[in-house]
Amino acid sequence: MTLPFLVILPLFGAFSMPIVSLLGKKLKEYWAVIISGATFAVAAKIFYTVWKTNEIILYTLGSDNPIGRGVNFPIRIVWEVDLFGALLALTITFVGFLAIIYSLGYMKHDTGLEKYYTLVLVLELGMLGIVVTGDIFNFYVFLEIMSIASYALVAFRNDTWEGIEAGIKYMFVGSLASSFILLGIALLYGQYGTLTMSYLAIKIAENPTLVAKVALAFLIGGLLFKSGAVPVHMWLADAHPAAPSSISAMLSGLVIKAGGVYAIARIIFSIFNPGLHTYLRTFNAPAINMDVIGWVIVFFACLTLLVGNAMAVVQTDMKRLFAFSSVGQIGYIMLGIGIGVLAYGTRAGELALAGAIYHIVNHALIKALLFLVAGVVIHEVGTKNLNELSGLAKRMPLTTFFFIIGAAAIIGLPPLNGFASKWIIYESSAMYNPILAAIAVVGTVFSLAAYTKVLFTFLGKESERVRDAKEPEKSMLLPMLILVVAIIVMGLLPWQISDKIMIPAAKMLEQLNGEYILALLKFIGGA
Amino acid sequence: MGSDMGLIVKTMARATIPLIGIFGAYVISHGHLTPGGGFQGGATIAGAGILFLIAFGINEAKEKINKSLYSALEGLGGLVFLAAGMLGLGVAFFYNTLWHNGPIFNGEPGTLLSAGYLPIMNLAVGLKVYTGLVSAVFAMALFRRWRK
Repeated sequence: MTLPFLVILPLFGAFSMPIVSLLGKKLKEYWAVIISGATFAVAAKIFYTVWKTNEIILYTLGSDNPIGRGVNFPIRIVWEVDLFGALLALTITFVGFLAIIYSLGYMKHDTGLEKYYTLVLVLELGMLGIVVTGDIFNFYVFLEIMSIASYALVAFRNDTWEGIEAGIKYMFVGSLASSFILLGIALLYGQYGTLTMSYLAIKIAENPTLVAKVALAFLIGGLLFKSGAVPVHMWLADAHPAAPSSISAMLSGLVIKAGGVYAIARIIFSIFNPGLHTYLRTFNAPAINMDVIGWVIVFFACLTLLVGNAMAVVQTDMKRLFAFSSVGQIGYIMLGIGIGVLAYGTRAGELALAGAIYHIVNHALIKALLFLVAGVVIHEVGTKNLNELSGLAKRMPLTTFFFIIGAAAIIGLPPLNGFASKWIIYESSAMYNPILAAIAVVGTVFSLAAYTKVLFTFLGKESERVRDAKEPEKSMLLPMLILVVAIIVMGLLPWQISDKIMIPAAKMLEQLNGEYILALLKFIGGA
Repeated sequence: MGSDMGLIVKTMARATIPLIGIFGAYVISHGHLTPGGGFQGGATIAGAGILFLIAFGINEAKEKINKSLYSALEGLGGLVFLAAGMLGLGVAFFYNTLWHNGPIFNGEPGTLLSAGYLPIMNLAVGLKVYTGLVSAVFAMALFRRWRK
């Protein structure tokens, strides 16, 4: 079984880092690269297994069976990995691996690097734990591992005022959000007496009380915070510009997805399954009205994609612009998830979920590329102020090319990967409600304006500041090149990827026949 | 900066630091039998370390506390915990194979060597908590002075 190695490897890397860093100066960097590369290989293997068999992997910690002896309910921590989780694990390890390679050159001038690599591996560990776990308290623990590692990494350059300010702001609001999530979990545990997600789903369907609704509200509220949805997105706009660029790439590409939208989707579809509750309502049994949750998410999604993209237009700081653009793209993903809840069980709902999952992967790749480009500009020119930058194309042709690919992909130009995922989201939202599609298109118009503005800093007349700029070293160019190749290749095969990976992933997340619950129930039945 | 503490405090610290340390070690090693465990015991021993730091001052502590050693020991604590979890990987991650199959750790329940990997994990967590807390407090004590 390879699944536990997804957590064992980064944990081993993080714990052995202080010892390895005593052995040699450069060794710790290569050690981080080796560990994250091996984790990527494990994630690829797990993804291939899940994709090939199209079945949910259920792994029990501590025994071969989640059910306690003499009782018929699960007593152990279980990890349940469906295609959505495996796909996210693959994305996380891929982008994490590239960010660590990029750090070899980018973080060269910083001190305390053994702490940096330990924290990056811990951050990766937390995100991987979130996407594999099937236990809600285990989920909370991994969420906190991820959050605390990212607070420390945002404030890593503690000799800069903005690093400290952003770190404190992120830590205060993030801890508050985490405590909401913990409160929600405590309420669920107090009411239903179990922490296993799929068993909790059965218990809630048997007896949907007010407590379950309050707990759901706390969980969604806390997780909207973590994903950077609009009324509570302000930490994101500070944290991403202040962090080192390799960390911004991971924060924007991965942390807000794994700890935010993935967790929202997992809790809604696996614990409070809309299909299950609609089914109960047809028999006039007490049930939770999941349409309310769907509309709440769609409301915040529309707000997020309008405000996020509109705020991106007026920024003069390159990384802050990318950060607001991330907020905007989270809006599209949440719109897909919201419509997936509202139009549950229909073609539009399935397409919307597939689009959301597709956009999670695409945005992780594109935004990682864009933040790495911003890191190169800061590293070589020493400023990220768009008013001081202009005409970088001549001195840094490769970086400019990478930026153009990234910007075109995030707006959604056809030959690149952003097109297909956005198209699916537009199409499904138009199928459900044309007004939502119109709002989504308005968001893209803002996004187009914002990226055109950045484009002018790369083209145009050469300014004073950029005279001595040159291309960065190979260890920084290589990760960007790999991301560009991935973006172009995924852009050339959009519908194949959608049919072969994203639609099956959406089906497994939607679990029309309760597959997530059945994966556990088959142990209880003894079959 | 020397220590501001007087003779009484220093003498009392000499007397109590070993006692606190022994009590912490007791809490850690009996984690599977009595209330407490790795975290509580580790934090108790770290209390002894902080008492040493306060009673004898930062200069004395600088000679005694080796940053790399504490950092490496903290990593070692984590590695031992992970290794104990991986012992039963043939069945599952965190499978308590030492309890089910022995060799030494499967004694009569209630005795010291009776809970499989739990005593090992408590020792590892205790080491990690102690070194981690002492390093954190020591690093804060060494932080740049108020004005400079």
